[in-house]
Amino acid sequence: MNTQSLVYLLGGVVGTLVITGAAFAIGAVLGAPVAWAQRSRFFPVRALIRTYVEIIRAVPPLVWIFVVFFGLPEVGVSLQPLTAAIVTLGVIASSYLAEIYRGGLAAIHRGQWEACAALGMSGLDTARHVVAPQVLRVILPTAATYLIGLLKDSALASAIGVAEIAFRANAETQRTGLGLTFFVAAGVLYVLLSLPLAAMSRRLDSRIRARYAMT
Amino acid sequence: MKWTEYLPELASGLGVALRLTGLSLLLGFPLGLVLAKLTDSRVRALRLVAVGLVEIGRGLPLLVLLYLVYQGLPQVGLTATAMVSAVAAFTWSAAAYSAEVIRACLVAVPVGQREAAIAAGMSDRDTFRFVILPQAARLAVPPLMNLAVQWFQFTSLAYVITLPEIMQAAYLLGTVNFDYLSVFLAAGFLYAAVTIPASGLVSLVEKRLSRHL
Amino acid sequence: MDKYDTPQGSAGPAAFVRAANIVKAYGDHRAVDDVSMDLKAGEVVSIIGPSGAGKSTFLRCLNFLEMPTAGAVTIGDRSVAVGPDHATPSRKDLAALRRNVGMVFQSFNLFPHLTALRNISLPQERVLGRSRQEADERSRALLARVGLKDKADSYPSRCSGGQQQRIAIARALALDPAVMLFDEPTSALDPEVGMEVLAVMRELAGDGMTMVVVTHEMAFARDVSDRVVVMVDGAVVEDGSPEVVMSDPTNARTRQFLSAVLGR
Ligand SMILES: Nc1ncnc2c1ncn2[C@@H]1O[C@H](COP(=O)(O)OP(=O)(O)OP(=O)(O)O)[C@@H](O)[C@H]1O
Ligand SMILES: [Mg+2]
Repeated sequence: MNTQSLVYLLGGVVGTLVITGAAFAIGAVLGAPVAWAQRSRFFPVRALIRTYVEIIRAVPPLVWIFVVFFGLPEVGVSLQPLTAAIVTLGVIASSYLAEIYRGGLAAIHRGQWEACAALGMSGLDTARHVVAPQVLRVILPTAATYLIGLLKDSALASAIGVAEIAFRANAETQRTGLGLTFFVAAGVLYVLLSLPLAAMSRRLDSRIRARYAMT
Repeated sequence: MKWTEYLPELASGLGVALRLTGLSLLLGFPLGLVLAKLTDSRVRALRLVAVGLVEIGRGLPLLVLLYLVYQGLPQVGLTATAMVSAVAAFTWSAAAYSAEVIRACLVAVPVGQREAAIAAGMSDRDTFRFVILPQAARLAVPPLMNLAVQWFQFTSLAYVITLPEIMQAAYLLGTVNFDYLSVFLAAGFLYAAVTIPASGLVSLVEKRLSRHL
Repeated sequence: MDKYDTPQGSAGPAAFVRAANIVKAYGDHRAVDDVSMDLKAGEVVSIIGPSGAGKSTFLRCLNFLEMPTAGAVTIGDRSVAVGPDHATPSRKDLAALRRNVGMVFQSFNLFPHLTALRNISLPQERVLGRSRQEADERSRALLARVGLKDKADSYPSRCSGGQQQRIAIARALALDPAVMLFDEPTSALDPEVGMEVLAVMRELAGDGMTMVVVTHEMAFARDVSDRVVVMVDGAVVEDGSPEVVMSDPTNARTRQFLSAVLGR
């Protein structure tokens, strides 16, 4: 592998990180109302949200990416490959992150809400100052693990031509025939990118376990 | 054309997807058990190899693993068909993930179980086979079934190495008919039609297995 | 006539179970600090003492569930020694010793995936090589003996704590051990339920079984055991007949401990 190829491959890291970061951001924002709606008192709302989550998960991500990228133009929605990948993975992420949020909310003792109500705190204040910090701590390790999964899923974008790591490794392989070299290099890049996340997840996990005396 | 009319055309792809799932799990789960045992081996070299295989299998995107086998091995003179390559990559990944699941389930069996067997004079091998493994297996069945469902969904990735599974069939159909939306929705329906009942089955099994524990 | 005869050659006054100079250190901390104990065949010894005294650790050293740092254990004519002057004992030696030692745990440790009957039969088949039929037959007899004939086909999760512990006792007895070790067999149980278990143990003692019992049940220690041993801080501070140890202890730590547990 010459320097030029290496630089080209390394350039793919940008694409991988952009897809992963943007999709995670969309999922994190969109996941909150989804999680909230799942706790709704109204059965139809819960059922609707449940269906949304189930349908998203019942179909592989690659299929959704193809539906969005190849299919939606037929109904007048044409997206660039990068945008299509980000939007699709972001919506999928929302279903998983909603589930993670829900677990975090469930871990909070109902006495917390009661205590805030008894103290006369508003719903918004309770959510912001009492619930959110606690939920965040509980879900961070799980969310970090999900982020690693998303990093790997971002490779799917190569199938619609986004020039991220996997795409570039494939392109160089087609050009040079050195598949082993380029895909081992690509693999190393993915592992290097996920290492800090994995370390963070482990650190957070042990810190939180210690704090809440969980075993 | 209505999307339902594409379903029969995708059936052959479904067959390939199920075959790939079945083969890779049939090979991957037993390998996973072996890897799980080896990661606790007293022999350092074995331990390192096992941990390496598991970490690579879990750390790389399955897509990259697929490319690595299909496009990488020819560089060292090994060529294999798309199906063989897919089975190899999927088996590796399944072994790696199931090794983690199985290890967690082995560890989850309370130490008292081992102690009781050892105190009764049972050998390590018998203790593993008759006391630890059956209990770990019960714990492992639901997560392994979930893995199996996930592996079925992963078969869509083999599209990139031109294995004629569902997505490959759908893409060709879409190109011929110039009707990607309906075709890919039909493909999605096919995946959901397998995944949703299978997930239901997992929950059912999960409930039944927890009876004696 | 005793049901549990001493093996040939070890009858008489010689010790039938002998623990010699057992030491178990965790880092700098000596959980068991040079404890020796002799039991004659058929003798019942209760070990009492405050929490953290090293009672469980000592008991677990007797069948090498915990590998002692140093010391020797002799059961009948079989001896295993560990320490700086000895080679690490082989698995075979340990297994051979263990099959002569039955152990009953505080938390029962029944195998949850097996019925009561199979719990008792499995070690017989694997360790003694009995056939399934032979083993099951013996298991049924033992279940009847602990008053649980009708529980043969029940899973542990369908049995009360007291029933589970009696099944665990039957499981240990099934290997015809020379000595039975009990580690607080009733402390996970409600007092009434504990009585069922104590009754079985009493009967066992009456039948001549050699037993070492770590217990907080002072009544059991007083009424059933031939000797009471008091452990404090990893060492034996008192060893004598129940009457002497419990009503007229010589050691200050023993007096302190007894007044705490007996509330006087
Ligand atoms: N695995 C271990 N590592 C380090 N220290 C240990 C370990 N096991 C036991 N100890 C220590 O050894 C000492 C004796 O423990 P042991 O469980 O034998 O006490 P015990 O007399 O049985 O107490 P209890 O009545 O509470 O059961 C304690 O100080 C304990 O903290
Ligand atoms: Mg104890």
